[in-house]
Amino acid sequence: MDSQRHEPDRADRRWPRRLYRQGVEPDARFTLANERTFLAWLRTSLALMAAGVAVEALAAATGGSNVLRTILALALLGAGILCSIGAFARWFATELALRTGRPLPAPRLAPVLGVGLAVVGAATCVLLLTYGV
Amino acid sequence: MTSRWHEPESPGLQVERTTLAWLRTSLAFVVGLLLIVRFVAHHSALLAAIGITVALPAALLVAALAARRFRHSLWSLPTHDTLPDGALPAGVAALGLVVGSCGVAYVLLN
Repeated sequence: MDSQRHEPDRADRRWPRRLYRQGVEPDARFTLANERTFLAWLRTSLALMAAGVAVEALAAATGGSNVLRTILALALLGAGILCSIGAFARWFATELALRTGRPLPAPRLAPVLGVGLAVVGAATCVLLLTYGV
Repeated sequence: MTSRWHEPESPGLQVERTTLAWLRTSLAFVVGLLLIVRFVAHHSALLAAIGITVALPAALLVAALAARRFRHSLWSLPTHDTLPDGALPAGVAALGLVVGSCGVAYVLLN
């Protein structure tokens, strides 16, 4: 499975060129696993965005909009957008590490997201206790 | 003779798992978009129409391209040819930004 061939003319046909011009072709299984991880991040980003829209929709349904609810919705949507950007950046960095034989990059976004979601959960509790559903 | 359970799995299964992940993702896009459009329609029919006419076909296109990617990957495995590139991942990440922007627009419209 491990092809060590590197053909510059072929690399030039693939995008992003900056990535495929470096290193050699890694084991296809690693490339595919990297792709699946990217897609998992993207689905996480979509879930965050859906949560942001749902929080705002609740405000519309109950008739009462307030600052905390809007901040919460925008924070969830912002986290979703950040996850989308971060997902591709991480896919790129991981693929580059695989091609050049360097260690895989650390997941910088995961701990931030973990703490962020804990804060969002606490804010949601405050919203529920203060305003009800 | 070695037991079949100790043999490494077929790389074809990896391609299959990856394609299923692509299809799950495009499905999540469709569901997410329909949810946003459903809420946005109360405020702005134009924004909802834009969401439907632009992003929904884009999400369905992702599913079609994922199927093509599956065939490309499967053919490239035995010949050690190159796997598909990063254009489609970049495209769906950009689509994610569009969905997020629609969500932000909805919150600000409220």
